[in-house]
Amino acid sequence: MSALRARGLTQRFGSKRVLGPIDIEMEAGERLALLGDNGAGKTTLLRVLATLSRPAAGELQLFGVDALARRERVRPRIGYLGHRSGLYPHLSARQNLEFFATLYDLEPARARSALAEVGLEDVADRPLSELSRGMEQRLGLARSLLHDPELVILDEPDASLDSGGRELLDRLLGGRTAVVASHDRALAQSLCGRALNLRAGRASSDPALEMLG
Amino acid sequence: MRFLAVVKAVAWKDLRSEARARELVPALAQFVILALVIANFAFDLSQVSGPRIGPGVLWMVLVFTGLTTFSRTFAAEKDHGSLDAMLLSPAGAAPLFAGKALAAALFLLAVDAVLLPGMAVFLGSPITLEVILVTILAVVGMAALGSLFAALAAQTRAREVLLPVLALPLWFPFIVVGARAVQQSMGGAPLSGQPLALLLDFDILFVVVATLAARFVLDD
Repeated sequence: MSALRARGLTQRFGSKRVLGPIDIEMEAGERLALLGDNGAGKTTLLRVLATLSRPAAGELQLFGVDALARRERVRPRIGYLGHRSGLYPHLSARQNLEFFATLYDLEPARARSALAEVGLEDVADRPLSELSRGMEQRLGLARSLLHDPELVILDEPDASLDSGGRELLDRLLGGRTAVVASHDRALAQSLCGRALNLRAGRASSDPALEMLG
Repeated sequence: MRFLAVVKAVAWKDLRSEARARELVPALAQFVILALVIANFAFDLSQVSGPRIGPGVLWMVLVFTGLTTFSRTFAAEKDHGSLDAMLLSPAGAAPLFAGKALAAALFLLAVDAVLLPGMAVFLGSPITLEVILVTILAVVGMAALGSLFAALAAQTRAREVLLPVLALPLWFPFIVVGARAVQQSMGGAPLSGQPLALLLDFDILFVVVATLAARFVLDD
């Protein structure tokens, strides 16, 4: 059974087609890089894969479940980090993660261990607004992985991360299925085995999924 | 129990954020004081008694502070990307919405806590138990509807314009019933239970409808 199976995913904003049709098939534990310039449709595709946006056409199955019809069943198995960290600037790092731990019905101790995983224990009680952009990105990663999701969807996760960011990402992703959007082909190569090149919303190469390395 | 735990977590998160940021409540309090000062000088209190103009000032301030409060309810979540993060959790849209509406209602009640004593000082309007009850009941229903439409408006670019257009017509029952009841109470007449019962009915109706509709409004 595929972890992710997309067929003919298409997205329209008004009458304009901005994405697709896109086909993707991923096995469990596989990592896929989404490459493309600004406006290529990477974020639009990621939001559709994360079930945050309904496609205009196409099918999406996650873990064998129809993810468009039964979103609530697959969502807890997804970890998503978009362009913004999804965190609250006036809460501390710890309070942010404890809040999301409550939503996922997890113990507060999980928030503390997640902070340790991204190396932010020392700034746990500082408000997010006082942290650097790189620290916020680390905290966003901790937030998206808090509930140990099987599928991780990351939109340019290397943005603002320091030199150790690539290793951190690799370690955090572990054996999970992951879709990672990036401008950086080197990052894609180091993190992912395959890539989908997007240009103006369409897969630009044939076969669409090329091997990296 | 899980529903209530999420409602509490979301509301507490909003209150804690505001306690640290101090962005909304001081601005609302400033607006309340300004409105009272203007009313104090604009109306001739020697000819028009405070209790007579009090209900008008009360509802005008409640409506405008309500629009300001609710417009921020979901706009900030959208801007931070945290609404997406919350919706991906198994918590469900209904308790997330209820928590946001509860926090917004508490902000508006904080406004009342400044407004009612301010009206007593500036306009000589009496603070009675009935006035307090009517205000609380109206705020609950207005918060449910205001938060629902704020969630809808946050999905659009014209959120500041859309919220009053959607909310004001449906706030009308609260304004009409509430204003009449406050007018009666401030005028010294004993308040019958009818307006309170009517406001309670509106609250139950709109809280239930808004919470059920939340999943269709919050999600794409």
